[in-house]
Amino acid sequence: MDLRLPAGLFFSAVGLILCLMGLVSSGKPAPLTDINVNLYSGAAMLIFGGVMLWASRRKA
Amino acid sequence: MALGPVDYLILVLYFGFVLGIGWLLKKRVSTSEDFLTSGRSVPLWITSLAFIAANMGAQEMIGMCASGAKYGILTAHFYWLGAIPAMLFVGVFMMPFYYGSRARSVPEYLKLRFDEKTRTFNALTFAVMTVFSSGISMYALGRLFELVLGWSFTTSVLVSAAIVLVYTYLGGLTSALYNEVLQFFLIVLGFAPLAVLSIAKSGGWEGIQARLKPVMTHAWANLGSASSNPMGVEIFGMVMGLGFVLSFGYWCTNYLVIQRALAAKDMSSARRTPLVAAFPKIFLPFIVIAPGLAAAALVSQFPSVIPMKANGTPDFDMVLTSLMSSFYPSGLLGVGITALMASFMSGMAGNVTALNTVWTYDIYQAHIRKNAPDSHYLWVGRATTIVGTALSILCAYVATLYNNIMDLLQLVFGFVNAPLFATFLLGMFWKRTTGNGAFAGLISGTTAAFFTWSLTVAEGKGGILGNVHEFGSTMAQNFWVAIMAWCTCFVVTIIVSLMTKAPTLHELKGLVWGATEMPETRHEAWFRRPVLLAAIVAIICIALNVWFR
Repeated sequence: MDLRLPAGLFFSAVGLILCLMGLVSSGKPAPLTDINVNLYSGAAMLIFGGVMLWASRRKA
Repeated sequence: MALGPVDYLILVLYFGFVLGIGWLLKKRVSTSEDFLTSGRSVPLWITSLAFIAANMGAQEMIGMCASGAKYGILTAHFYWLGAIPAMLFVGVFMMPFYYGSRARSVPEYLKLRFDEKTRTFNALTFAVMTVFSSGISMYALGRLFELVLGWSFTTSVLVSAAIVLVYTYLGGLTSALYNEVLQFFLIVLGFAPLAVLSIAKSGGWEGIQARLKPVMTHAWANLGSASSNPMGVEIFGMVMGLGFVLSFGYWCTNYLVIQRALAAKDMSSARRTPLVAAFPKIFLPFIVIAPGLAAAALVSQFPSVIPMKANGTPDFDMVLTSLMSSFYPSGLLGVGITALMASFMSGMAGNVTALNTVWTYDIYQAHIRKNAPDSHYLWVGRATTIVGTALSILCAYVATLYNNIMDLLQLVFGFVNAPLFATFLLGMFWKRTTGNGAFAGLISGTTAAFFTWSLTVAEGKGGILGNVHEFGSTMAQNFWVAIMAWCTCFVVTIIVSLMTKAPTLHELKGLVWGATEMPETRHEAWFRRPVLLAAIVAIICIALNVWFR
């Protein structure tokens, strides 16, 4: 089994969920920050997941 | 803090993936070695990340953040003075003997190099210690989730233990390793935003320096005397105690981490496992310590980031979760809590898989049933997974009733562990070392640790036999107990070895420096050369120490 495939799937899914959260309910930020934390960290995870998926496809 | 439905969705998604990985790896297990040592077939990048992930239990994550808030950048010594040099040493110098001897575990190396009694002493103490430490971290996690999220202690302990049990039972060490890598990514991606946000809120590194006393932002400047820094440790105790004895003792002899490197597919990968692992390890302080440091900088402006105990003293163990609830909205909060759960699981799976192997090969096969067919040992390994997990759960409950027993046990294990590195150093690099010498050294080193602790006092601890010296902190006391134990073990091992019959060169082949052919790597590509990799890590590590001096 190539771990990059499940890892890529997991982080893409979590990244997608966070991005959606960031876009939909941006009106409720955390107490100490005004930044849209979900959107940015979701995007980072989506990119990481994408790279993992791409790496697992490339080898196969 | 309260979790929303999305947070639970992320947690459940994570549970699904770790169980799925265990299920997919089930078919790779057909012999006891597949189950207990991964059949020496795991790729380098996985053994490397698992090497550090197995050490990143929930207690370490919470503790490093707490220590960052309490002691500041001094905490980084656990990485830049402690772990990194030891990881370089084990990769370059010790792995040729561990991997080359074909020993399946660290105690088994002791059996090959020395004798049965030294192996059994190490195996038994390691097994008991492993069960208790996974019980203690289970207890810590259950308590934290009870306090912060309002989950029942029993539910979080049983659910998390059951998931670890299922995936290690199905896929053995391979499944634990693969999941540790997933957990490592999750811990980094889940905690990194916390570091970025909390440091940005404090005004960056300049802002933190301006808000805190210089002693919190300098790693070396205040080590001249024990009274000038909050850890209460002077430079010799720090470098010798933490940097040498304790860190080398952990990273070079603890089977929990060595097992990860031994699962690598060849000698070159095994040697490079701790070296490649050192690259991410060296930057972990920026993720695990920095948020604590930022909390200390922010507390005067936002008192809620460091919660108070009922008696009015700061509760540093709560800093990590209070920062999460301050900076993470629903969604990322789920990722943060899941990352904490993942760190707990990677630590526990590390304990369970190491216990399996030591029990099966070093205790059961050595003393209880010697010549059974391999399928029997595979069965024993699987059964140990279940029994070990059950015993850990039991320990977690014992800890809820008698907290002092757990403190006492950790103290005793500290005594047993402290001299270990002297035994390995002499065993691997001095041909004259004998089994009786090693055993006498271990016993006397442990005894020396006990007496050092009993004759000194720190924060009201120790001193049960008298008070010869008073330390500024229990940390300083721990370091000095380790130093005394190490030196005693070193000297006694040499003396007794010289008085007993020397081992023949034939017996030592492949086990000792000078009786082993070291792997030749001069003509390999640069990234396959252990010494070169170690040199790069060393330069980065020195640069960071200088920068944060």
